[in-house]
Amino acid sequence: MWKYDTRKIKEKLFLIAVAALTILAVFPLFHIVFTVFYEGIGTIMATGPTFITGTLGEGGIGPAIVGTLMLTLLSSIIGIPIALAVGIYAYEYPNSRIGKITTTLLQIMLEFPTILVGLFVMQLIVIPTGSYSVIAGALALAIIMMPYVAVYTAESMSQIPFTFREAAFGLGVNRAKSVFMIIAPIAKRGILTGLLISTAKVAGETAPLLFTAGGLYQSYPHSLTEPVGSISLLIYTLVQSPSAADHQMAWGAALVLMVIFLTVFIPIRMSLKEVKL
Amino acid sequence: MKSLEYAIETRRLNISYGDDRVIKDVDMKIPKKTVFALMGPSGCGKSTMLRAFNRILELNKDAKVSGEIRLFGENIYGPGVDPTEVRKETGMVFQYPNPFPHLTVFENVAIGLRLNKLVKSRDELEDRVHWALEKAALLEEVRDRLKNYPSELSGGQKQRLVIARALAMKPKILLMDEPTANIDPIGTRKIEELLFELKREYTIVLVTHSPAQAARVSNHVGFLYLGELIEVGKTGKIFESPGSELTEKYLTGELI
Repeated sequence: MWKYDTRKIKEKLFLIAVAALTILAVFPLFHIVFTVFYEGIGTIMATGPTFITGTLGEGGIGPAIVGTLMLTLLSSIIGIPIALAVGIYAYEYPNSRIGKITTTLLQIMLEFPTILVGLFVMQLIVIPTGSYSVIAGALALAIIMMPYVAVYTAESMSQIPFTFREAAFGLGVNRAKSVFMIIAPIAKRGILTGLLISTAKVAGETAPLLFTAGGLYQSYPHSLTEPVGSISLLIYTLVQSPSAADHQMAWGAALVLMVIFLTVFIPIRMSLKEVKL
Repeated sequence: MKSLEYAIETRRLNISYGDDRVIKDVDMKIPKKTVFALMGPSGCGKSTMLRAFNRILELNKDAKVSGEIRLFGENIYGPGVDPTEVRKETGMVFQYPNPFPHLTVFENVAIGLRLNKLVKSRDELEDRVHWALEKAALLEEVRDRLKNYPSELSGGQKQRLVIARALAMKPKILLMDEPTANIDPIGTRKIEELLFELKREYTIVLVTHSPAQAARVSNHVGFLYLGELIEVGKTGKIFESPGSELTEKYLTGELI
Protein backbone atom coordinates (compact mmCIF):
# COMPACT_ATOMS: atom_id res chain seq x y z
CA MET A 1 0.00 0.00 0.00
CA TRP A 2 2.66 2.48 1.03
CA LYS A 3 4.26 2.24 -2.41
CA TYR A 4 1.05 3.41 -3.99
CA ASP A 5 0.91 6.38 -1.67
CA THR A 6 4.40 7.68 -2.38
CA ARG A 7 3.62 7.52 -6.05
CA LYS A 8 0.52 9.65 -5.52
CA ILE A 9 2.39 12.11 -3.35
CA LYS A 10 5.17 12.41 -5.89
CA GLU A 11 2.64 13.14 -8.59
CA LYS A 12 0.95 15.82 -6.48
CA LEU A 13 4.28 17.45 -5.61
CA PHE A 14 5.27 17.48 -9.23
CA LEU A 15 1.98 19.08 -10.23
CA ILE A 16 2.37 21.75 -7.57
CA ALA A 17 5.94 22.46 -8.69
CA VAL A 18 4.86 22.81 -12.32
CA ALA A 19 1.94 25.06 -11.39
CA ALA A 20 4.17 27.25 -9.22
CA LEU A 21 6.77 27.62 -11.97
CA THR A 22 4.07 28.44 -14.49
CA ILE A 23 2.69 31.16 -12.25
CA LEU A 24 6.21 32.47 -11.69
CA ALA A 25 6.75 32.62 -15.44
CA VAL A 26 3.53 34.41 -16.36
CA PHE A 27 3.41 36.64 -13.29
CA PRO A 28 5.62 39.38 -14.79
CA LEU A 29 3.35 39.52 -17.84
CA PHE A 30 0.24 40.07 -15.72
CA HIS A 31 2.12 42.50 -13.56
CA ILE A 32 3.11 44.57 -16.58
CA VAL A 33 -0.40 44.53 -18.02
CA PHE A 34 -1.88 45.48 -14.65
CA THR A 35 0.63 48.24 -13.86
CA VAL A 36 0.35 49.81 -17.30
CA PHE A 37 -3.41 49.74 -17.09
CA TYR A 38 -3.52 51.05 -13.50
CA GLU A 39 -1.08 53.89 -14.09
CA GLY A 40 -2.24 54.77 -17.58
CA ILE A 41 -6.00 54.82 -17.17
CA GLY A 42 -5.83 57.81 -14.73
CA THR A 43 -3.91 59.92 -17.24
CA ILE A 44 -6.23 59.10 -20.10
CA MET A 45 -9.38 59.69 -18.03
CA ALA A 46 -8.05 63.07 -16.83
CA THR A 47 -7.34 64.32 -20.37
CA GLY A 48 -10.27 62.70 -22.14
CA PRO A 49 -10.46 62.04 -25.91
CA THR A 50 -7.87 64.76 -26.52
CA PHE A 51 -5.26 62.30 -25.24
CA ILE A 52 -5.80 60.20 -28.36
CA THR A 53 -6.34 62.99 -30.89
CA GLY A 54 -4.43 66.00 -29.60
CA THR A 55 -0.81 67.02 -30.11
CA LEU A 56 1.67 67.01 -27.25
CA GLY A 57 1.05 70.71 -26.62
CA GLU A 58 -2.66 69.95 -26.19
CA GLY A 59 -1.85 67.08 -23.82
CA GLY A 60 -2.32 64.34 -26.38
CA ILE A 61 -0.27 61.74 -28.27
CA GLY A 62 -2.14 61.83 -31.60
CA PRO A 63 0.95 62.42 -33.80
CA ALA A 64 2.76 59.53 -32.09
CA ILE A 65 -0.15 57.15 -32.77
CA VAL A 66 -0.29 58.20 -36.42
CA GLY A 67 3.50 57.94 -36.61
CA THR A 68 3.49 54.39 -35.25
CA LEU A 69 0.82 53.38 -37.76
CA MET A 70 2.70 55.01 -40.67
CA LEU A 71 6.01 53.43 -39.70
CA THR A 72 4.47 49.99 -39.21
CA LEU A 73 2.55 50.15 -42.48
CA LEU A 74 5.46 51.42 -44.57
CA SER A 75 7.95 48.98 -43.05
CA SER A 76 5.51 46.14 -43.80
CA ILE A 77 5.14 47.30 -47.39
CA ILE A 78 8.91 47.39 -47.81
CA GLY A 79 9.79 44.32 -45.79
CA ILE A 80 7.08 41.70 -46.24
CA PRO A 81 7.30 41.06 -50.00
CA ILE A 82 11.09 40.74 -49.90
CA ALA A 83 10.99 38.59 -46.78
CA LEU A 84 8.37 36.24 -48.22
CA ALA A 85 10.45 35.80 -51.34
CA VAL A 86 13.58 35.12 -49.27
CA GLY A 87 11.70 32.66 -47.02
CA ILE A 88 10.30 30.75 -49.97
CA TYR A 89 13.74 30.68 -51.59
CA ALA A 90 15.33 29.35 -48.39
CA TYR A 91 12.65 26.63 -48.27
CA GLU A 92 12.85 25.71 -51.93
CA TYR A 93 16.66 25.64 -52.25
CA PRO A 94 17.89 24.68 -48.78
CA ASN A 95 20.98 22.90 -50.09
CA SER A 96 22.12 25.42 -52.68
CA ARG A 97 25.04 27.65 -51.78
CA ILE A 98 22.90 30.80 -51.74
CA GLY A 99 20.20 28.95 -49.80
CA LYS A 100 22.67 27.96 -47.08
CA ILE A 101 24.17 31.45 -46.89
CA THR A 102 20.68 32.94 -46.71
CA THR A 103 19.64 30.65 -43.88
CA THR A 104 22.77 31.48 -41.86
CA LEU A 105 22.38 35.20 -42.50
CA LEU A 106 18.74 35.10 -41.41
CA GLN A 107 19.68 33.40 -38.13
CA ILE A 108 22.27 36.10 -37.46
CA MET A 109 19.91 38.92 -38.41
CA LEU A 110 17.25 37.54 -36.04
CA GLU A 111 19.48 38.27 -33.06
CA PHE A 112 21.20 41.35 -34.46
CA PRO A 113 21.21 44.32 -32.03
CA THR A 114 18.47 46.61 -33.28
CA ILE A 115 20.34 49.77 -32.36
CA LEU A 116 23.05 48.85 -34.87
CA VAL A 117 20.36 48.66 -37.55
CA GLY A 118 19.35 52.19 -36.55
CA LEU A 119 22.96 53.39 -36.87
CA PHE A 120 23.29 51.73 -40.26
CA VAL A 121 20.18 53.38 -41.67
CA MET A 122 21.28 56.70 -40.22
CA GLN A 123 24.53 56.41 -42.19
CA LEU A 124 22.65 55.28 -45.26
CA ILE A 125 19.79 57.79 -45.39
CA VAL A 126 19.65 60.32 -42.57
CA ILE A 127 23.14 61.75 -43.03
CA PRO A 128 23.03 62.00 -46.86
CA THR A 129 19.55 63.58 -46.87
CA GLY A 130 20.25 65.72 -43.81
CA SER A 131 16.97 64.87 -42.12
CA TYR A 132 15.23 62.23 -40.03
CA SER A 133 12.32 60.80 -41.98
CA VAL A 134 9.46 58.29 -42.11
CA ILE A 135 11.32 56.47 -44.86
CA ALA A 136 14.48 56.09 -42.76
CA GLY A 137 12.50 54.85 -39.75
CA ALA A 138 10.46 52.45 -41.84
CA LEU A 139 13.56 51.07 -43.54
CA ALA A 140 15.20 50.38 -40.17
CA LEU A 141 12.05 48.60 -39.01
CA ALA A 142 11.79 46.66 -42.27
CA ILE A 143 15.35 45.36 -41.81
CA ILE A 144 14.42 44.12 -38.35
CA MET A 145 11.17 42.61 -39.56
CA MET A 146 12.43 40.71 -42.60
CA PRO A 147 14.36 37.88 -40.92
CA TYR A 148 11.37 37.02 -38.73
CA VAL A 149 9.00 36.83 -41.67
CA ALA A 150 11.51 34.90 -43.77
CA VAL A 151 12.37 32.38 -41.04
CA TYR A 152 8.71 31.79 -40.13
CA THR A 153 7.84 31.34 -43.80
CA ALA A 154 10.64 28.87 -44.49
CA GLU A 155 10.01 26.95 -41.26
CA SER A 156 6.27 26.63 -41.65
CA MET A 157 6.63 25.54 -45.26
CA SER A 158 9.25 22.94 -44.42
CA GLN A 159 6.86 21.43 -41.88
CA ILE A 160 4.37 20.59 -44.62
CA PRO A 161 4.65 16.83 -45.25
CA PHE A 162 6.62 15.88 -48.36
CA THR A 163 3.67 13.89 -49.69
CA PHE A 164 1.80 17.11 -50.63
CA ARG A 165 4.76 18.20 -52.68
CA GLU A 166 4.78 14.85 -54.45
CA ALA A 167 1.04 15.15 -55.02
CA ALA A 168 1.43 18.61 -56.56
CA PHE A 169 4.26 17.54 -58.85
CA GLY A 170 2.39 14.32 -59.65
CA LEU A 171 -0.39 16.41 -61.19
CA GLY A 172 2.09 17.87 -63.65
CA VAL A 173 2.09 21.20 -61.83
CA ASN A 174 5.38 23.05 -62.31
CA ARG A 175 7.68 23.95 -59.48
CA ALA A 176 6.71 27.60 -59.09
CA LYS A 177 2.99 26.86 -59.05
CA SER A 178 3.47 23.95 -56.63
CA VAL A 179 5.24 26.23 -54.18
CA PHE A 180 3.05 29.32 -54.51
CA MET A 181 -0.35 27.77 -55.16
CA ILE A 182 -0.17 24.62 -53.04
CA ILE A 183 2.61 24.45 -50.44
CA ALA A 184 2.49 28.10 -49.32
CA PRO A 185 -1.33 28.11 -48.91
CA ILE A 186 -1.17 24.91 -46.83
CA ALA A 187 1.39 26.67 -44.61
CA LYS A 188 -0.77 29.80 -44.53
CA ARG A 189 -1.29 29.86 -40.79
CA GLY A 190 2.40 29.66 -39.93
CA ILE A 191 3.28 32.29 -42.51
CA LEU A 192 0.60 34.71 -41.29
CA THR A 193 1.67 34.13 -37.69
CA GLY A 194 5.18 35.17 -38.68
CA LEU A 195 3.80 38.29 -40.37
CA LEU A 196 1.77 39.23 -37.29
CA ILE A 197 4.52 38.61 -34.77
CA SER A 198 7.00 40.64 -36.77
CA THR A 199 4.51 43.46 -37.35
CA ALA A 200 3.73 43.52 -33.63
CA LYS A 201 7.43 43.53 -32.86
CA VAL A 202 8.27 46.48 -35.07
CA ALA A 203 5.18 48.41 -33.92
CA GLY A 204 6.75 48.47 -30.45
CA GLU A 205 10.42 48.94 -31.41
CA THR A 206 12.31 51.95 -30.06
CA ALA A 207 16.05 51.60 -30.56
CA PRO A 208 16.10 51.51 -34.38
CA LEU A 209 13.99 54.69 -34.48
CA LEU A 210 16.25 56.76 -32.24
CA PHE A 211 18.54 57.93 -35.04
CA THR A 212 16.17 57.49 -37.96
CA ALA A 213 12.65 58.72 -37.19
CA GLY A 214 13.64 61.66 -35.04
CA GLY A 215 10.32 62.32 -33.36
CA LEU A 216 7.42 64.65 -34.08
CA TYR A 217 4.79 65.30 -31.44
CA GLN A 218 3.65 68.91 -31.76
CA SER A 219 2.05 68.40 -35.18
CA TYR A 220 0.84 65.55 -37.36
CA PRO A 221 3.27 64.08 -39.89
CA HIS A 222 2.42 65.03 -43.48
CA SER A 223 5.38 63.87 -45.52
CA LEU A 224 7.42 60.67 -45.82
CA THR A 225 10.67 62.64 -46.02
CA GLU A 226 10.18 64.54 -42.79
CA PRO A 227 10.69 63.42 -39.17
CA VAL A 228 8.04 61.33 -37.51
CA GLY A 229 7.30 60.17 -33.97
CA SER A 230 6.12 56.88 -32.58
CA ILE A 231 4.46 55.86 -29.35
CA SER A 232 7.44 53.89 -28.09
CA LEU A 233 9.84 56.67 -28.99
CA LEU A 234 7.60 59.17 -27.20
CA ILE A 235 7.52 57.01 -24.07
CA TYR A 236 11.32 56.87 -24.14
CA THR A 237 11.54 60.67 -24.44
CA LEU A 238 8.94 61.37 -21.76
CA VAL A 239 10.43 59.02 -19.18
CA GLN A 240 13.81 60.76 -19.52
CA SER A 241 12.23 64.04 -18.52
CA PRO A 242 12.44 64.97 -14.83
CA SER A 243 8.83 66.16 -14.71
CA ALA A 244 6.25 63.90 -12.99
CA ALA A 245 3.57 65.09 -15.42
CA ASP A 246 5.64 63.73 -18.31
CA HIS A 247 5.95 60.39 -16.54
CA GLN A 248 2.17 60.22 -16.19
CA MET A 249 1.86 61.03 -19.89
CA ALA A 250 4.25 58.15 -20.63
CA TRP A 251 2.02 55.74 -18.69
CA GLY A 252 -0.95 56.91 -20.74
CA ALA A 253 0.99 56.37 -23.98
CA ALA A 254 2.07 52.94 -22.75
CA LEU A 255 -1.56 51.99 -22.18
CA VAL A 256 -2.48 53.13 -25.72
CA LEU A 257 0.38 51.05 -27.15
CA MET A 258 -0.73 48.01 -25.17
CA VAL A 259 -4.38 48.40 -26.16
CA ILE A 260 -3.45 48.74 -29.84
CA PHE A 261 -1.37 45.60 -29.51
CA LEU A 262 -4.04 43.58 -27.73
CA THR A 263 -7.03 44.70 -29.80
CA VAL A 264 -5.34 44.32 -33.15
CA PHE A 265 -3.23 41.22 -32.76
CA ILE A 266 -5.07 38.91 -30.40
CA PRO A 267 -8.32 38.74 -32.46
CA ILE A 268 -6.41 38.33 -35.73
CA ARG A 269 -4.21 35.65 -34.26
CA MET A 270 -7.21 33.78 -32.88
CA SER A 271 -9.22 34.05 -36.08
CA LEU A 272 -6.49 32.54 -38.25
CA LYS A 273 -7.98 29.30 -39.40
CA GLU A 274 -5.74 26.30 -39.14
CA VAL A 275 -5.45 24.07 -42.16
CA LYS A 276 -6.31 20.63 -40.83
CA LEU A 277 -3.93 18.03 -42.19
CA MET B 1 6.82 -0.77 -83.08
CA LYS B 2 6.08 -3.79 -80.94
CA SER B 3 6.67 -1.78 -77.80
CA LEU B 4 3.56 0.27 -78.53
CA GLU B 5 1.57 -2.69 -77.31
CA TYR B 6 2.77 -1.99 -73.80
CA ALA B 7 1.76 0.86 -71.53
CA ILE B 8 5.07 0.77 -69.71
CA GLU B 9 8.28 -0.92 -70.67
CA THR B 10 11.57 -0.69 -68.81
CA ARG B 11 14.91 -1.51 -70.39
CA ARG B 12 17.96 -2.15 -68.23
CA LEU B 13 16.46 0.13 -65.63
CA ASN B 14 18.84 0.97 -62.80
CA ILE B 15 18.11 3.33 -59.94
CA SER B 16 20.51 4.29 -57.19
CA TYR B 17 20.62 6.62 -54.22
CA GLY B 18 24.25 7.67 -54.06
CA ASP B 19 26.21 4.40 -54.01
CA ASP B 20 23.17 2.39 -53.02
CA ARG B 21 21.69 0.51 -55.98
CA VAL B 22 18.01 -0.02 -55.29
CA ILE B 23 16.78 -1.18 -58.71
CA LYS B 24 19.05 -3.52 -60.65
CA ASP B 25 18.77 -4.10 -64.40
CA VAL B 26 15.03 -4.42 -64.52
CA ASP B 27 13.45 -5.30 -67.88
CA MET B 28 9.71 -5.36 -67.50
CA LYS B 29 6.68 -4.96 -69.74
CA ILE B 30 3.32 -3.80 -68.45
CA PRO B 31 0.40 -4.40 -70.85
CA LYS B 32 -2.33 -1.84 -71.47
CA LYS B 33 -5.65 -1.69 -69.64
CA THR B 34 -4.82 -4.07 -66.88
CA VAL B 35 -4.02 -4.03 -63.20
CA PHE B 36 -0.34 -4.75 -62.82
CA ALA B 37 0.69 -5.46 -59.24
CA LEU B 38 4.26 -4.75 -58.28
CA MET B 39 4.75 -6.76 -55.12
CA GLY B 40 7.61 -7.47 -52.80
CA PRO B 41 8.67 -7.08 -49.19
CA SER B 42 9.27 -3.63 -47.67
CA GLY B 43 12.37 -1.89 -48.92
CA CYS B 44 12.66 -3.91 -52.13
CA GLY B 45 12.48 -0.78 -54.30
CA LYS B 46 8.90 -0.96 -55.54
CA SER B 47 7.91 2.56 -54.48
CA THR B 48 11.13 3.92 -55.94
CA MET B 49 10.46 2.20 -59.26
CA LEU B 50 6.88 3.50 -59.32
CA ARG B 51 8.16 7.04 -58.81
CA ALA B 52 10.48 6.64 -61.77
CA PHE B 53 7.47 5.93 -64.02
CA ASN B 54 6.30 9.55 -63.75
CA ARG B 55 9.71 11.07 -63.02
CA ILE B 56 8.52 12.26 -59.63
CA LEU B 57 11.62 10.55 -58.27
CA GLU B 58 13.48 13.67 -59.39
CA LEU B 59 12.18 15.46 -56.28
CA ASN B 60 14.80 13.37 -54.51
CA LYS B 61 18.12 14.88 -55.52
CA ASP B 62 20.13 11.76 -54.64
CA ALA B 63 18.20 9.46 -56.94
CA LYS B 64 19.88 8.54 -60.22
CA VAL B 65 18.08 6.72 -62.99
CA SER B 66 19.73 5.00 -65.93
CA GLY B 67 18.33 2.85 -68.68
CA GLU B 68 14.98 3.45 -70.36
CA ILE B 69 11.39 3.68 -69.32
CA ARG B 70 9.00 3.74 -72.25
CA LEU B 71 5.42 4.91 -71.82
CA PHE B 72 3.45 3.78 -74.89
CA GLY B 73 6.73 3.45 -76.75
CA GLU B 74 8.25 6.80 -75.84
CA ASN B 75 11.33 6.90 -73.63
CA ILE B 76 10.44 9.37 -70.88
CA TYR B 77 14.10 9.70 -69.93
CA GLY B 78 15.03 10.62 -73.48
CA PRO B 79 16.49 14.05 -74.30
CA GLY B 80 14.02 16.91 -74.52
CA VAL B 81 11.24 15.18 -72.60
CA ASP B 82 9.43 17.55 -70.25
CA PRO B 83 8.76 15.75 -66.95
CA THR B 84 5.64 17.82 -66.29
CA GLU B 85 4.09 16.49 -69.50
CA VAL B 86 4.89 12.93 -68.42
CA ARG B 87 3.24 13.57 -65.06
CA LYS B 88 0.06 14.89 -66.63
CA GLU B 89 -0.37 11.56 -68.40
CA THR B 90 0.25 9.48 -65.30
CA GLY B 91 -2.00 10.01 -62.31
CA MET B 92 -0.57 9.10 -58.95
CA VAL B 93 -2.15 7.85 -55.72
CA PHE B 94 -0.12 7.64 -52.55
CA GLN B 95 0.28 5.42 -49.53
CA TYR B 96 -1.05 8.07 -47.21
CA PRO B 97 -4.26 9.71 -48.52
CA ASN B 98 -3.12 13.23 -49.29
CA PRO B 99 -5.90 15.48 -50.57
CA PHE B 100 -4.76 19.09 -50.26
CA PRO B 101 -6.01 20.14 -46.80
CA HIS B 102 -6.51 23.81 -47.67
CA LEU B 103 -8.81 23.10 -50.62
CA THR B 104 -12.44 22.00 -50.65
CA VAL B 105 -13.50 18.64 -52.05
CA PHE B 106 -14.41 20.32 -55.33
CA GLU B 107 -11.20 22.34 -55.54
CA ASN B 108 -9.09 19.29 -54.80
CA VAL B 109 -10.36 17.65 -57.96
CA ALA B 110 -10.22 20.91 -59.92
CA ILE B 111 -6.72 22.05 -58.92
CA GLY B 112 -4.75 20.07 -61.49
CA LEU B 113 -7.04 21.28 -64.27
CA ARG B 114 -6.87 24.85 -63.06
CA LEU B 115 -3.11 25.09 -62.55
CA ASN B 116 -2.43 23.39 -65.88
CA LYS B 117 -5.13 25.45 -67.62
CA LEU B 118 -6.77 22.36 -69.11
CA VAL B 119 -10.37 23.57 -69.13
CA LYS B 120 -11.77 26.64 -70.83
CA SER B 121 -14.89 27.46 -68.86
CA ARG B 122 -16.42 27.14 -65.42
CA ASP B 123 -19.07 24.78 -66.83
CA GLU B 124 -16.45 22.53 -68.33
CA LEU B 125 -14.59 22.50 -65.03
CA GLU B 126 -17.72 21.54 -63.08
CA ASP B 127 -18.58 18.81 -65.56
CA ARG B 128 -15.08 17.38 -65.37
CA VAL B 129 -15.00 17.46 -61.55
CA HIS B 130 -18.35 15.68 -61.33
CA TRP B 131 -17.23 13.18 -63.93
CA ALA B 132 -14.03 12.43 -62.02
CA LEU B 133 -15.83 12.05 -58.68
CA GLU B 134 -18.32 9.72 -60.35
CA LYS B 135 -15.48 7.66 -61.86
CA ALA B 136 -13.87 7.41 -58.44
CA ALA B 137 -17.18 6.17 -56.98
CA LEU B 138 -17.26 9.10 -54.59
CA LEU B 139 -19.84 11.46 -56.09
CA GLU B 140 -22.86 10.04 -54.25
CA GLU B 141 -21.11 10.36 -50.90
CA VAL B 142 -19.90 13.93 -51.32
CA ARG B 143 -22.55 15.49 -53.58
CA ASP B 144 -23.74 17.77 -50.76
CA ARG B 145 -20.26 18.34 -49.38
CA LEU B 146 -18.37 19.66 -52.38
CA LYS B 147 -17.65 22.89 -50.52
CA ASN B 148 -16.44 21.13 -47.38
CA TYR B 149 -12.84 20.32 -46.55
CA PRO B 150 -11.35 16.86 -46.96
CA SER B 151 -10.50 16.64 -43.23
CA GLU B 152 -14.18 15.68 -42.76
CA LEU B 153 -13.91 12.64 -45.01
CA SER B 154 -13.00 9.12 -43.89
CA GLY B 155 -9.64 7.67 -44.89
CA GLY B 156 -11.20 5.64 -47.69
CA GLN B 157 -13.12 8.65 -48.99
CA LYS B 158 -9.96 10.77 -48.92
CA GLN B 159 -8.16 8.14 -50.95
CA ARG B 160 -10.98 8.04 -53.53
CA LEU B 161 -10.82 11.85 -53.61
CA VAL B 162 -7.14 11.56 -54.48
CA ILE B 163 -8.07 9.05 -57.20
CA ALA B 164 -10.65 11.53 -58.53
CA ARG B 165 -8.00 14.27 -58.47
CA ALA B 166 -5.76 12.06 -60.60
CA LEU B 167 -8.58 10.96 -62.96
CA ALA B 168 -9.68 14.55 -63.61
CA MET B 169 -6.46 15.02 -65.55
CA LYS B 170 -7.56 12.19 -67.89
CA PRO B 171 -4.32 10.26 -67.54
CA LYS B 172 -3.61 7.06 -69.44
CA ILE B 173 -1.86 5.39 -66.55
CA LEU B 174 -2.62 5.32 -62.83
CA LEU B 175 0.29 4.72 -60.48
CA MET B 176 -0.78 3.59 -57.03
CA ASP B 177 1.67 3.29 -54.17
CA GLU B 178 0.10 0.95 -51.60
CA PRO B 179 -3.17 2.89 -51.80
CA THR B 180 -4.91 0.83 -49.12
CA ALA B 181 -2.06 0.60 -46.62
CA ASN B 182 -3.66 3.17 -44.33
CA ILE B 183 -7.32 2.44 -45.06
CA ASP B 184 -9.78 0.34 -43.04
CA PRO B 185 -11.09 -2.97 -44.49
CA ILE B 186 -14.36 -1.51 -45.83
CA GLY B 187 -12.56 1.38 -47.48
CA THR B 188 -10.03 -1.06 -48.88
CA ARG B 189 -12.77 -3.18 -50.43
CA LYS B 190 -14.34 -0.15 -52.10
CA ILE B 191 -11.01 0.90 -53.58
CA GLU B 192 -10.31 -2.63 -54.81
CA GLU B 193 -13.75 -2.78 -56.44
CA LEU B 194 -13.00 0.55 -58.04
CA LEU B 195 -9.84 -0.89 -59.60
CA PHE B 196 -11.95 -3.48 -61.44
CA GLU B 197 -13.96 -0.68 -63.00
CA LEU B 198 -11.00 1.52 -63.82
CA LYS B 199 -8.89 -1.10 -65.56
CA ARG B 200 -11.31 -1.11 -68.50
CA GLU B 201 -9.99 2.29 -69.50
CA TYR B 202 -6.71 2.76 -67.67
CA THR B 203 -3.49 0.93 -67.09
CA ILE B 204 -3.04 0.63 -63.36
CA VAL B 205 0.26 -0.09 -61.66
CA LEU B 206 -0.38 -1.06 -58.09
CA VAL B 207 2.45 -1.31 -55.60
CA THR B 208 1.58 -3.62 -52.75
CA HIS B 209 3.39 -5.52 -50.04
CA SER B 210 0.48 -7.92 -49.73
CA PRO B 211 0.45 -10.98 -52.01
CA ALA B 212 -3.21 -11.45 -51.06
CA GLN B 213 -4.12 -8.07 -52.49
CA ALA B 214 -2.11 -8.75 -55.62
CA ALA B 215 -4.01 -12.01 -56.04
CA ARG B 216 -7.39 -10.31 -55.52
CA VAL B 217 -7.06 -7.38 -57.88
CA SER B 218 -4.32 -7.86 -60.43
CA ASN B 219 -4.16 -9.49 -63.87
CA HIS B 220 -0.40 -9.35 -64.07
CA VAL B 221 2.14 -9.32 -61.33
CA GLY B 222 5.81 -8.58 -60.94
CA PHE B 223 7.78 -9.78 -57.93
CA LEU B 224 10.59 -7.51 -56.87
CA TYR B 225 13.14 -8.63 -54.32
CA LEU B 226 16.12 -6.52 -53.18
CA GLY B 227 15.91 -4.45 -56.33
CA GLU B 228 15.79 -7.34 -58.76
CA LEU B 229 12.81 -8.44 -60.75
CA ILE B 230 12.54 -12.10 -59.80
CA GLU B 231 9.48 -13.00 -61.77
CA VAL B 232 6.80 -11.38 -63.89
CA GLY B 233 3.72 -12.73 -65.62
CA LYS B 234 -0.01 -13.42 -65.41
CA THR B 235 -1.21 -13.36 -61.84
CA GLY B 236 -3.01 -16.73 -62.04
CA LYS B 237 0.02 -18.46 -63.40
CA ILE B 238 2.47 -17.02 -60.89
CA PHE B 239 0.29 -17.76 -57.89
CA GLU B 240 -0.45 -21.32 -59.07
CA SER B 241 3.02 -22.28 -60.17
CA PRO B 242 5.72 -19.78 -59.30
CA GLY B 243 8.82 -20.20 -61.42
CA SER B 244 11.23 -19.28 -58.68
CA GLU B 245 11.79 -20.59 -55.21
CA LEU B 246 12.00 -17.01 -53.89
CA THR B 247 8.57 -16.19 -55.27
CA GLU B 248 7.13 -19.29 -53.69
CA LYS B 249 8.66 -18.37 -50.34
CA TYR B 250 7.25 -14.86 -50.61
CA LEU B 251 3.78 -16.08 -51.53
CA THR B 252 3.70 -18.51 -48.63
CA GLY B 253 4.77 -15.80 -46.22
CA GLU B 254 8.23 -17.11 -45.47
CA LEU B 255 9.87 -13.97 -46.80
CA ILE B 256 9.04 -10.78 -45.01
